Amino acid sequence: MSSLLTPQILLELLLGGISLGGIYALMALALSLALATTHILNVAHGSFMVLGAAASTLLIKYLGLSPVPSLVILVAGFALVGWVFELVCVRPLQGRAPDRILIGSILITFGFALAFEAGLGFYWAKLVDPQPTFSLTLTMPRLTLWGVSLSGTRLVILAFVCLAVLVFHLFLTKTPVGKMARAIAQDYEGALILGVNPRLVSVTIFTVGLLATALSGLFFILATPLGPHDGLRLTLVAMTVIVIGGVGSLPGALLGGIVLGITDVFTAFVFGAVWSPVTYVLVFFVVLLVRPQGLVGIRQG
Amino acid sequence: MARVPGVFRGRRLLAVGVVLIGLVVLPRFLTRDLVTALFFAFALITVALNYDLLGGFLGYLNLGQGTFFGGGAYAVFILTKHMPGVAAAGPLALIGLVVVAVAIIALFAAIVAYPLFRLKGAYFAMATFGLFLLVRQLILNLERLTGGAFGIYLPPGYYVDQRLAYWLMLGVVTLSVAVNYLISQTRLGVGLHAIRESEPAAAAIGIDLFRHKQTALVISVIPSALAGCLFGLHFGYVDLESVLGVDKTLLPVIMAMLGGTGLVLGPIVGGVLIRVIDVSLKNYLTLPIPALGVYGLILMVIGLFMPEGILAGLTRRRRVAPRA
Repeated sequence: MSSLLTPQILLELLLGGISLGGIYALMALALSLALATTHILNVAHGSFMVLGAAASTLLIKYLGLSPVPSLVILVAGFALVGWVFELVCVRPLQGRAPDRILIGSILITFGFALAFEAGLGFYWAKLVDPQPTFSLTLTMPRLTLWGVSLSGTRLVILAFVCLAVLVFHLFLTKTPVGKMARAIAQDYEGALILGVNPRLVSVTIFTVGLLATALSGLFFILATPLGPHDGLRLTLVAMTVIVIGGVGSLPGALLGGIVLGITDVFTAFVFGAVWSPVTYVLVFFVVLLVRPQGLVGIRQG
Repeated sequence: MARVPGVFRGRRLLAVGVVLIGLVVLPRFLTRDLVTALFFAFALITVALNYDLLGGFLGYLNLGQGTFFGGGAYAVFILTKHMPGVAAAGPLALIGLVVVAVAIIALFAAIVAYPLFRLKGAYFAMATFGLFLLVRQLILNLERLTGGAFGIYLPPGYYVDQRLAYWLMLGVVTLSVAVNYLISQTRLGVGLHAIRESEPAAAAIGIDLFRHKQTALVISVIPSALAGCLFGLHFGYVDLESVLGVDKTLLPVIMAMLGGTGLVLGPIVGGVLIRVIDVSLKNYLTLPIPALGVYGLILMVIGLFMPEGILAGLTRRRRVAPRA
């Protein structure tokens, strides 16, 4: 340990950990809602965060668009991509036997993630930058609170997370489609009897979820750069959050995300950044060992 | 066991013998490049067959079979580099080191079985892939032991020469076929099949679920680790991409899925197809996306249009025909 843990550094680390964890929570929430309502595990989930990072870097950094119009273009584009993804990769699986859905979804989405990563890395290196990294900088003044100065960028990320989580919460509790999604996650057949349309739920959950994930990619790279091959790693992070917090649970996702985010920044501070990826998998396995029955709150199969 | 064709009975046994003898003498008639291509194919088909013990027989999707392939290669190289007295003993010490390396990997598999088999379905699949990424990151970080990003080179004189490596790898792939066939004929195989069909029912008739799964995993990693050792020893160096690249863990899954899982022949048929695609991609076709992307697209096509693989479709048709 080279530097001492002063209150200033401690607060900085906590803020960093919570804003990072908030993004993880948001991403995991979208993945687990899709899993709970459609039983489809989207292994390409993290790739959509990379897509968000790549598209926003391209628009803002390389094409020089100002943030507001690019945000409009990105939101529309991501919603369209989410809709098409549901149509091509998710819709054909519906109607297969439950165990076939799972294997099929892993094959299709894993394949999609590989093709996407390879294609993006290859073309970005060829057309834009030989060393593909996606990052954005936001010039924000530091905020001084009770004698402690905090990074403005981190606060922006945190504000985005709070807003997105609030929107998700309102979507699930107040809108008809959100209520249908919760019903279908609790009892599939029962919801069908009551006239819930699973296709409508599936297409809405994937469009909204992937839009939120891609947008969280934009905010993620304000603090930490991403590369084209980070998608599968991010999916794994989302899975870990779900293992900690349970499928389809908003508070659980927040808890899991923040635990991981704080573990990440403190590991990086104490042992160096190369050890952060190791802690994710270790947390994943430790949670599995501590909870003998596996994953609390998860219906499997 | 309706799903296992009787490859090793009667005339088929003869056919298998002829194919084997053919493969043993084949290097005489081929260029060095083609022998290496076959060596490579045997290695990947071995891992695909091992993957299928869990993936096909047990119904557990193990996306991390490559961990044990790369782990075996790294284990034998680390032993060669760091064990005292290896230099004095000369190249023959490699035989002992390979045995130790494979034993280490088998022990490792027996241990990771405890957390892994608390999971099912998608969570199991992602956890095995997580294990693969964990081992990759550990090897990258523990530079003093593993050489980090640079990898480890074998001292000159320790390389396994091409013909010998080819024959040994042929032995390993034959071993894997035999293991899969024999397991399908034993109590263990029947138990695995029962677990795949219904875990509660299997538990109710007294099958020890965890022991069966752990045994299957340990058996499945031994040929993978052996293949990894040979692979490294033939090429003379190991680094992350050469033995622990994402393709090493995913190609076997694709091969088994393409051919048809749960069938002894499935991974072989899929493996040959994938190798043909791979060689033509590298030498004859120039596509606008990299090879890993092409494999991704193949995986998508399998998932969308033939979730049970090529052979499963064929055998079902054949099985129905005599009854009609």
